[in-house]
Amino acid sequence: MKKYEDLNILELDTIREIGSIGTGNAATALSSLLGCEVRIDLPEVRIMEYNEAIEWIGGPELITAGVLVRMSGELNGIMLCVQQMEFVNLVLEGVAGRQIESYKELTELDRSALIEVGNIMISTFINSLSSLADITTHLTVPAFALDMQGAILTVPMAEFGGQSDHIMTIGANFICNHQTVPCRLLLSPDIRSLNFLLKKLGVLDD
Amino acid sequence: MTSKLVVGIADMKMAKNEGMLITYALGSCVGICLYDPAIKLAALIHVMLPLNIETNRKSPMKYADTGIRETLQKMVEQGASRSRIVAKIAGGAKMFEVSGSGSLGNIGQRNIESTHMILRREGIRLLKEDVGGSTARTLLFDAASGEVCVRSYGKPELIF
Repeated sequence: MKKYEDLNILELDTIREIGSIGTGNAATALSSLLGCEVRIDLPEVRIMEYNEAIEWIGGPELITAGVLVRMSGELNGIMLCVQQMEFVNLVLEGVAGRQIESYKELTELDRSALIEVGNIMISTFINSLSSLADITTHLTVPAFALDMQGAILTVPMAEFGGQSDHIMTIGANFICNHQTVPCRLLLSPDIRSLNFLLKKLGVLDD
Repeated sequence: MTSKLVVGIADMKMAKNEGMLITYALGSCVGICLYDPAIKLAALIHVMLPLNIETNRKSPMKYADTGIRETLQKMVEQGASRSRIVAKIAGGAKMFEVSGSGSLGNIGQRNIESTHMILRREGIRLLKEDVGGSTARTLLFDAASGEVCVRSYGKPELIF
């Protein structure tokens, strides 16, 4: 079984390609939802140690919204969409025509909009991944949290903490109205699923 | 100005006489403060999982059981007496309410239970705790007084 940190260049490239297709589809979904053009720049895959991942996303105590979906079936794991303020405002501007300065201003309706946008992006991502690898994946109803992003990020870490000291993030920046908005999608398959996925895509050398 | 020592995830740090130990954003993780008041020796562990079942055990501080045991040993090496050491804990929240999921939301609860059990087995008195719920916590632990301060989003600070 290969862990995240054992992946070689070819395998990482494959994951990056999955990320590119998944994020591209998520961007298309977002675009039709917001009614504006959304493009993506080059996607990147990062395999990071926990504390490094938290620093990368912008520090532990920053308040962030997170949408989490659990995958089961042939692919087991968690997918998390971290929605930082820039992203929240992009969505709210598109669906409600307003922006906020603090998460405290979020209404119940805003929250549902954010959950739905997160859910659609995650589902699109997983759908494109599943059809690419020819696998069946079931997704749960999305869950939402508004809290310190360090704590949100530790959810996928703790789930697979017994297997690996690392976490994988796949991300590209969205470009919408000449504004670059980071998209933080975290795909965390368990180790077995990661290996299965790579095998399905024909790149696992063991 | 007292120095601040940041404790990361699956990490442990100690301070003696003075200094502030701090660990950020405890979600389902548990922050365990161990203190010997007589010599003012403080240790803060940020554990992520309840029990260590790894084969090579390369990161003991990730788990409640090996984390507590190893820290107690290190404190004794620094001159602490096991009978004087007391504990305060915080964390173990459930960040996401996922319907139809088994263990996902329960890691926090399992961490709390495991921490309780290990402390009891090691004969360490648990003085205070702020556990469970659904909000993240940042924990500050003052080595001079043994006082613990918990910060959460949208809630007043809690000192115990």
